[in-house]
Amino acid sequence: MSRLRSLPRAHLIAGLCLVLLLLYPVVNPWQPYPQGVMLLAFLLAIQASSWNIISGYAGYISLGHSMFLGLGSYTVGVLAVRFGVNPLWVAPLGGITAVVIAVLIGSVVLRTRGHAFVIITIAMLLAAQIFAVNLKSITQGSDGITLELPFWDRDFQNIPFYYVYLILMVLTVLFSAWIRRTKFGTGLVAIREDEGKAASIGVNTTRFKIVAYAASSFFIGMAGGVYAYYLTFINPVGSFAILGSVTIVLATLTGGRGTLYGPVIGAFIVQLVSEGATVYGGGSNARVLVFGLALMLVVLFLPKGILPTIEAWWRRRHPEKVEYTDQAGALSRVPVTATERVRAEIAAVNEKDEVAPGEILLDVRGVSKRFGGLTAVDNADLTVRKGSITALIGPNGSGKTTLFNLISGGMAADSGEIWFDGRRIDGMRPWRRGHLGLGRTYQVTRLFKEMTVQENVVAPLPDSRWRTMFSDAVRGHEAARARELLDIVGLGRFANQPAGALSYGQQKLVELAQVLMLEPKLILLDEPAGGVNPSLLGQLTEVIRELNRSGVTFLIVEHNIPLVLDLCDPVVVFSHGAPIAEGPPERIRTDPLVLDAYLGDDWRPADGDEGTGDPADDRADDRADTTTREAVQ
Amino acid sequence: MTHLVQAIALGLLIGGVYALMASGLTLIFGVMRIINIAQGAFLILVAMLTWWLWHETGIDPILASVVTTPLMFGFGWVAYRLLLSRIRGSSASMSVLLTFGFALVIEGILNITAGNKFKSATPSYFEESFRVGGVSLPKAQVFGFLAAMAVLAVLYFVLTRTWTGRAIRAATQNPSGAALVGVGAASTAALAFAIGTATTGVGGSILSVLYPFFPASHYDWISRLLGIVVLGGMGSLPGALIGAGILGLAETLTATYGSLNWSTLVFYIVIMVVLLFRPQGLFGAKLREDTV
Repeated sequence: MSRLRSLPRAHLIAGLCLVLLLLYPVVNPWQPYPQGVMLLAFLLAIQASSWNIISGYAGYISLGHSMFLGLGSYTVGVLAVRFGVNPLWVAPLGGITAVVIAVLIGSVVLRTRGHAFVIITIAMLLAAQIFAVNLKSITQGSDGITLELPFWDRDFQNIPFYYVYLILMVLTVLFSAWIRRTKFGTGLVAIREDEGKAASIGVNTTRFKIVAYAASSFFIGMAGGVYAYYLTFINPVGSFAILGSVTIVLATLTGGRGTLYGPVIGAFIVQLVSEGATVYGGGSNARVLVFGLALMLVVLFLPKGILPTIEAWWRRRHPEKVEYTDQAGALSRVPVTATERVRAEIAAVNEKDEVAPGEILLDVRGVSKRFGGLTAVDNADLTVRKGSITALIGPNGSGKTTLFNLISGGMAADSGEIWFDGRRIDGMRPWRRGHLGLGRTYQVTRLFKEMTVQENVVAPLPDSRWRTMFSDAVRGHEAARARELLDIVGLGRFANQPAGALSYGQQKLVELAQVLMLEPKLILLDEPAGGVNPSLLGQLTEVIRELNRSGVTFLIVEHNIPLVLDLCDPVVVFSHGAPIAEGPPERIRTDPLVLDAYLGDDWRPADGDEGTGDPADDRADDRADTTTREAVQ
Repeated sequence: MTHLVQAIALGLLIGGVYALMASGLTLIFGVMRIINIAQGAFLILVAMLTWWLWHETGIDPILASVVTTPLMFGFGWVAYRLLLSRIRGSSASMSVLLTFGFALVIEGILNITAGNKFKSATPSYFEESFRVGGVSLPKAQVFGFLAAMAVLAVLYFVLTRTWTGRAIRAATQNPSGAALVGVGAASTAALAFAIGTATTGVGGSILSVLYPFFPASHYDWISRLLGIVVLGGMGSLPGALIGAGILGLAETLTATYGSLNWSTLVFYIVIMVVLLFRPQGLFGAKLREDTV
């Protein structure tokens, strides 16, 4: 009983509703009309829940989703008529047809970002209709296919269909819930929130989107097979109707896009309203108008849907107290130590590496990037040695962040080569680079603001294995690891808060924890100290040192020169898109070329004031032979 | 051989009309990142209006666009101010859903007022053709093509030679930069939406002569037009012209050498093949990944 009580309230209500729905035909068996209305609501809920996977979780709207219902119907209809099998037994094949078509379409259209997908989904729905009309030898064209009547006694009426659809609906919701719990689901939401960022933390966005599209089609295809049997007649216009797609969209939007139960709630509302409109409002002409108006009203006035609106209202009524400013932490400034397990894991990843400490880990060779007439990165060479904390400094606009984007794969270089860990990476997609152990943070933090802090940290994928993709993100190993990483950056107690609620400095730390999930060998930090208060900054440098001792290499872009000179060795100075000097901090501090290009006169140390106070550096000093390179031009 | 020339000539004539219809769509997408699913319904609305004007007064359907174009300009302006401006700043998918709803409302209203039957405007020259060599070109097609080209020329002139056009193009390329030099994003957007809608004034008039239509025809039209825009590259005007030409040719060639039934499907296949090799479309700029 106590286990039951610990379940979230929403699941309890859902369970209760399920029991009532299971009992309904038993209590009221001789009423075919309400049963018929209910089973159509189940059918719509199956479609809406499925649609929610690609268009709610991943945010890629499909306007042709009723195509899968038609594909399922036709697969089953054709098989049933040709081979005389009962449609119910071959209904799963309808689902498989839907998945195959979804994968084919998805692999063409979902490789890039942008808006082509929504358009192609409409076109494909109409294309499917054209096929069904014209492939007369298989589909019997516009005449349609007539199936045999159900084998059970007429006294049972729709009761068997009622239960088949109820079971399918429960399976669909469970499937959707399972997806949302996996790292696959977290990755889909990441894609919706910020696709570029998702790619940089190892989410293979192309694969994720295609799998999501396929996953969103299976149960609809299967339900379509059953639907053919229920109607006992299918034709192209009815099976591939765009109004069916509208109903799916409207139902999910009304209930709450991206939520688990929203699509089901929306489906029941839309089905009942549409039934009312048809009965009392004057037939199907009115239905188009009502659906159109409803869609516009929902988009304009209830864009988040009913369920999230109620949740937000509930949270306002019952606020949860969270202490966001870390008073105690700020005052005591406890040194952070990584938990042993995470340290050991990070160390193991870096020890296994073929590149030995002190050797070149990242090698940028003659890379250039132009934006129109502006050359942001100009034939730049840069090497980062394993085990170092290398700094990249230079005036604003000198091309540092662009160079980061070229290394992490956010942009493609116009020329040159980039090698990482013995492999050439400049042609690789961003997530491949992430899987190799290359992580980065952003100048302006790019957390997924709708996710919790913990979900943000669970989201990255350290490799491309399917097992990792479908591992549990809520409980188990991955979640525990995320907790530990959050503890490392000292933010464990915010794990369940929305990431958008944290302060800017805290978000920077979460972003660092996120990168650690990749089991990185090299971390690119873009202005980690920007906008971070001094106490938090102390924590940050502490974490960087700690990780560095475990074997992680850093390349840091930073304007806080005292921090750079304290933390980093070597320091590379960038100007006009290429490095002009490189060396240990004490050399850079006094290099006249650097002083002119960047630091300015104010920084020039007074005579006799230099060279003595360099803090003892406990890092291996095996790279003392750095040289000051003269400017390229 | 004559068959081929005939098919190509007809394909190009139809392509010109498609180009006009798609230009409004691509303009609206280019400036506002709005995919206006209601553009097809606008076309059918104008076609209905034109048919009614022609039926009641006997005015030439294509000339009737003198009336319908300013009407649609105002209609677009109001629609933007009342509806689309409310979802500025939310994702493009919301605009898809809003305009889809709008399209359904128009369809529903036309269903109730004009009825669910096929209509077609048939002016006196409807059955006549020009004969050039062995090739016969239906007069309706030729007039439609000429009208479309004239409007495209005006559109091109407005976009490149007037302050308004420069403002619209500036807002397309860099909205915040445009705002800095005094180009208000909101009013430019309303203007662009109105101009994009106004192109359906002529487009719909031509449609009413060349094709039979009924309220639900707008699905066929919008999917064709969106296909053109995807094929050419979202937001690219030259892309829309080329895409429209390809659609016209694909349709007439399939109808001549294959069957009319498959003609739209062939176009969809062309799109998928192009996207396979150029995911951003023929003239589309590859999306710059925003890594700040």
